[in-house]
Amino acid sequence: MRLREVVVAVSVALMVLLLAYVVSAGGLGPLAPRELRELARSYLANAYNPWNVTQSSLSLEAVTAIVWDYRGIDTFFETSVLFASIVGVSLIFRGYRERPGIGGRGLSEIVKTSTRVLLPLILVAGVSIALHGHLTPGGGFQGGSFIAVLLVLATVVFSLDFLVERGLASGRLLALRSAGLLGVLATSVALLAVGLALGIDAYIFQNMVREGSELSMPQWLLDRPTGGTLLFFNVFEALAVAAGLALAFLVLSLREEEVGEAMAAGEWHE
Amino acid sequence: MSDPTTFLFAVVVLSLVANTGISLYGVFTRPSLVKKFISLTIFSDTLNSFAIAIGFRRVVGPYPSAAVLSSVPEDPDELLAFAGSAVDPLPQALVLTAIVIGLAVYMFLAGLIMLYHRHYRTTRMV
Repeated sequence: MRLREVVVAVSVALMVLLLAYVVSAGGLGPLAPRELRELARSYLANAYNPWNVTQSSLSLEAVTAIVWDYRGIDTFFETSVLFASIVGVSLIFRGYRERPGIGGRGLSEIVKTSTRVLLPLILVAGVSIALHGHLTPGGGFQGGSFIAVLLVLATVVFSLDFLVERGLASGRLLALRSAGLLGVLATSVALLAVGLALGIDAYIFQNMVREGSELSMPQWLLDRPTGGTLLFFNVFEALAVAAGLALAFLVLSLREEEVGEAMAAGEWHE
Repeated sequence: MSDPTTFLFAVVVLSLVANTGISLYGVFTRPSLVKKFISLTIFSDTLNSFAIAIGFRRVVGPYPSAAVLSSVPEDPDELLAFAGSAVDPLPQALVLTAIVIGLAVYMFLAGLIMLYHRHYRTTRMV
């Protein structure tokens, strides 16, 4: 056992030394260069470029433009992986149901009162981050995580019954989660459906006017750019992430009485 | 040691590399599954910070700007100036994807560890 630990320590130290050598010898390219790579320059110059709309997503924020437009399919499958993991967590805790009225009075009155003040503020901050994902740093995932923190905080401070009484039990959260994913899917094929209906060429994940397709998502909402699909993607992703993370937390924070039921639930074929 | 910025940036990068090794050591040698889990999250956070550090750049002024336009540009020259002063947005977008997928994996792992603890009343491996 001692030998094993020594071997692990020596090999990890060796890895660190070699990695440090590779980095200092410039194996990862120049660190902190003066000039950006050509790909990065193209993304930065085209994220909001009304003079070259066919390559632009008309989003002021380059990161959201990359995440939901230039690499949209990648992000769609990423959010599907999150969905699959939530399905997996629900599967290994199958048979679990919230039972209201088990008890659990939550934390003290002081904490409850201050949390009551805090909850609407967190909600507004999360929704604002999600809605402004194409204008300021942030986006659907970040805003959704904010809202999930709100639900987790409510669970910890007021006990699980607080959410269950307001209709946010695990079944409802899974439905909200699926609705968010379906919304992302619908947004990605929206222009394709319009194109098929009108007999015009269009693409999956099309945002603005592209080469060979005249269709375009709305570019302006009142006096602000919408980034086309980005606004819808951010809203649906925020809904999906908030419901999904809250669901995972609920399932992981089940109480002893409910655990007993979940463990007693047998397989279907038994 | 040409200038303080280079020196400090090298310190940051090398401490990230060292952090990689320390967190991997935790994953390999700690007997408790919970501590392995914590080490694994530190490992992935280190690699994410490292990826973002690769996207950093230097500009003529004191700081590069974030990859966000602060107002709707009026003419193409503004875009060129923006591309000449903002950091690389691509590593940030990739790290966002990596964080989400990491979160998915960690949620599943946490569920498995809870099941393990419920069956064996301990999280110690070995």
